Amino acid sequence: MSRWQYFLRRVLMSIPVVIFGTTITFALIRLGPLDPVSAILGTQYNPQAAEQIRTNLGLNQPLWSQYLDFMYDLFTFQLGQSWVIAPGTTAYELIEIYAPRTIWLGFWSVVIALFVGIPLGFYAGLNPNTPSDYAASFGGIVWRAMPNFWLAIMLVTALSQLGTWTNGLFTWQTWIVRTNVVTPPALGFFQSPVEQFLADPGGWTESFIRATKQIAPAALVLGSASMGNEMRIGRTAVLETINSNYVETARAKGVSGRSLVWKHIFRNALIPLVPIITGEAFLLLGGSVFVETVFAINGLGWLFFNAAINGDLPLIGTLMFIFILILVGTNILQDFLYTIIDPRVGYDG
Amino acid sequence: MSTTTETEIPLRQRVAENPQPALIWAAVGAVLIGVELGAILQVVGAVAGVVVNLLPGDPGASAVQSLQAAFDAIPTLVSRDVIPNQGYWNGTGYENTFLGLSPAVAWAIRVAFVYAYAFAVLAWAWNGYKRFRRHYRRVDWTPRDDVVNRFRGHSWGKFGLIIVITFVVMAVFAPALGPTTMERNILQPYDYEVSYWSEDTQSVETVLVGEANLGSGSQGAGDENVAPMTYDDFGRFHPFGTATNGKDLFTQVVFGARISLTIAVVAMGIAGLIGLGLAMITAYYKGLADLATVLVSDSIQALPVIMVLILMLVIFQNTWVRELYDGAVLIILIFSIVYWPFIWRSIRGPALQVSEQDWIDAAKSFGQTPTQVMRKHMAPYVFSYMLIYASLSLGGIIISVAGLSYLGLGITAPTPEWGRLIANGQQYVASPSWHISLVPGLLITLVVTGLNAFGDGIRDAIDPQADTGDEAAATGGGA
Repeated sequence: MSRWQYFLRRVLMSIPVVIFGTTITFALIRLGPLDPVSAILGTQYNPQAAEQIRTNLGLNQPLWSQYLDFMYDLFTFQLGQSWVIAPGTTAYELIEIYAPRTIWLGFWSVVIALFVGIPLGFYAGLNPNTPSDYAASFGGIVWRAMPNFWLAIMLVTALSQLGTWTNGLFTWQTWIVRTNVVTPPALGFFQSPVEQFLADPGGWTESFIRATKQIAPAALVLGSASMGNEMRIGRTAVLETINSNYVETARAKGVSGRSLVWKHIFRNALIPLVPIITGEAFLLLGGSVFVETVFAINGLGWLFFNAAINGDLPLIGTLMFIFILILVGTNILQDFLYTIIDPRVGYDG
Repeated sequence: MSTTTETEIPLRQRVAENPQPALIWAAVGAVLIGVELGAILQVVGAVAGVVVNLLPGDPGASAVQSLQAAFDAIPTLVSRDVIPNQGYWNGTGYENTFLGLSPAVAWAIRVAFVYAYAFAVLAWAWNGYKRFRRHYRRVDWTPRDDVVNRFRGHSWGKFGLIIVITFVVMAVFAPALGPTTMERNILQPYDYEVSYWSEDTQSVETVLVGEANLGSGSQGAGDENVAPMTYDDFGRFHPFGTATNGKDLFTQVVFGARISLTIAVVAMGIAGLIGLGLAMITAYYKGLADLATVLVSDSIQALPVIMVLILMLVIFQNTWVRELYDGAVLIILIFSIVYWPFIWRSIRGPALQVSEQDWIDAAKSFGQTPTQVMRKHMAPYVFSYMLIYASLSLGGIIISVAGLSYLGLGITAPTPEWGRLIANGQQYVASPSWHISLVPGLLITLVVTGLNAFGDGIRDAIDPQADTGDEAAATGGGA
C-alpha cells in the first residue's frame, strides 16, 4: 500500500469516528438521567415554559427523529443557541467571542513547550548521564507530575507576591507593560491587524506584547505536561539515534559534528515527537478548563465548564461536536505529518 | 538447588520434605499477622456491613453489628489505643498520652511504628518469596527471575516503589495515622468533647470538638492560623496544620490518599479487564470484531476526556449512583469506560503477534475451546504489556480526580479529597495559611512522580526493549 493510500484510508476512517463520537454525545445528553428542559429551567420550572422549550428543541419527537435532527443540524453546522448562560445567543456568536482566547492560549502553550522541552531533551540526550542530564530529566519528570490547576494557583500567587518578596525591585504587574496577573488577554489588536499596525505601529506592538504577557503564565502551566513529555521523548530519541548504525557510519566517513547533529540526529529524532506534539491537542483542550478557571481567562474551556454546571445541554452538545472535530482533525494532521516525514509509513501496518 | 525436576511432586510434599525454612517463615508471619488480627477482622466486619447495607431489607444487620462490636474489642498492635496521642496538659504533665509524652511526640512515634510494621510485613513477604525460590521451587530459573532481578537493579524504579508503598501504607493505615479520627474531627465533631488546659482559668476544661474546630481554623493572618507542626489553642497537635474550617489537615490528607488510590487502582483494574478481554477477542477472531472495536475505541478516544468526565458528572448529578461513596463509584465507572480504549490500543499489537504463534495453532488443533486458548495461551503473554501501560496511567487518573474535585464535581464532602483541599485553601496561598493548598499539591506531585518512576521500572524490567512512544498519552490526562 502506498503512503498516500494509507493516509487516505486514515482520513476515511475518521468519518465514522466523528459520527460515532457525536452519537455518544447525543446518547449522554438525551438519554441520560438529566432532563434537558428541567436543567434549562432549573428552579423556575413551570409546565408552560417547559412545554415551549420542549417543542422548540424538538423533544416531543420520537427518539430516532430527534437523533436524525441532532446529527443533521450539527453536520450541516446549524449549531443552535445557548439556553442558560447566554439565552438566545447563537453558538456561532459565543464561539466567536470565546474561541480566540483559547486559541491564543493554546498557541503559546505549544510554542513555549516546544521551545523549552525539545532543546532541553536534545541537550540531555547529547550529554547522557551527566549531572545536567539528570537535573533536566528529573526536573522534567516532576514538572510533568504536577497537577495543572495546582501549578496554576501556585504560579498566580508567586507572580502576585514577587513585588513583596523582592522588596519592590521586581513586580510582574509592571514588568515591560502594565497587566494584572489574573486576566483574560485583550485581543482587540487581532481585528484587522494590518491596518491597525500601519496606523499605529508602536501601539499595536504594545498591545501584542501585553496580550502575550497576559497569557504567558497560563500557557506555561498548560504546556507543562507536554513540555515534560517532549523533553523525555526527545532525550530517548536522541539517545537511540546517536547509537544507531547510520550515525556511526556518518561519523566514520568524516561528517562534521554540527552536520551530524542537525542532519542525521535531529531530523530522525523528530519522528517520535510528532505524536507528542499533536497529542497536545488533547492535553490543551482538557487542561484549558482548569487553567482558564484559575487564570480567569474566559475561553472555550471556561465556556464548556459553565455551560455544564448550569445545565445548558444544547450548547454542550454543540461544543462537544466542535471539540471532536478539532481532535479528529489533529489526528489527521498527525497522520499527514507522519506520511511526509517518515517514509516507512504504511509498509508494515 | 534440587536436581530433580519431576513436576509431579506437589508443593505440599516439597515443603514436608524440608519443613524448616517454611516453618520459620510461617512462625514470623503468624506473629506479624496475629498482632493485627483485630484490624483485619474489623475490615471484614466493615465489608460485611457494607454488603448488608446494599442488600434489600438489611438481612442480619444486628448480627453483623454485634460481630463488628466483638471485632472492635480485639486489641491490635498498630492502633490508636496502644500509642494514644489525644491527651491534654493538666498544668504539670500530659495526661492520656503515650508514656506521658507530648501529643506531637506520641503521634510521631505511632507514625514511625505504623511504617515500621508495614515494612516488616513487606520484608516478610519478600523473604517468603526468596525462601520459596531457594528451597521449594521445582526449577532453578524462570524468566520471571530475570524480571525481578532487572527491577532490583533499577534504582529509579525502586525509588518509585518506595514512594508508592509509602502512599499505599498511608491509605491502608489511614485511621491509625491521623492525629485524630475521621469520626471525631470531621464527620461528627459535635458529638465529641476535647479536654484542654485553659491559660485563663488555669484549669482543665472541656469543649465540643466542633466548637474547638471553629476556634482553630486557618484563614490567613495571626491568630487565625494553625501552621504545620504546631498546636492549636485547644492543645491539639496538627502535623500539617488545619484547614480553613479548623479540621485537621493531616487526617483529611491520609483519607484523601485512600480515596485517590482506590479510585485509580479500581478504575484501572476494570479498564484493564475490559481492554484485555477485548484484546483477546479481537486478536483471536480478527476481521469484523477487530474493525468494530477499532471504531468504538477510536470514537471514545476522539472525545476530550476531561470534558466527557465533566459532562457525565453533571448528567448523573442527582442520581443514586452519584451518592455511592460520595461519587467515587460513579467516577470509577466513568474512568473505566473512558480508559479501556487506551489500554486495548496499547496491547492490541502484542495480542495480534501472539495469536499468530504456532502454539496457538497447536492448542486449537488439540481441540481447546477459544476461551481456553485465550486465557491460557494468549493472555499471559499480553498481560505484562498491560501492566506497563496501567502503571503509567495511574498518575493521570489521580490528577484528573483531584482536578474534578477542585472544580467541585468530583468527590463530594464529607469524604476528604486532595483537590477539594486545594480549592479550600486557594485564596490563602499568599497568606500564612499557605499550607492548606500547598501540602496536598506536593503530595499529588510526589505520588504521581513515584507512580511514573515505578511504571518506568516495571517497563524496563518486563521488556528492556519496550517502545517508549505510547506512554505520553497515558500520563497527564490534561488536568
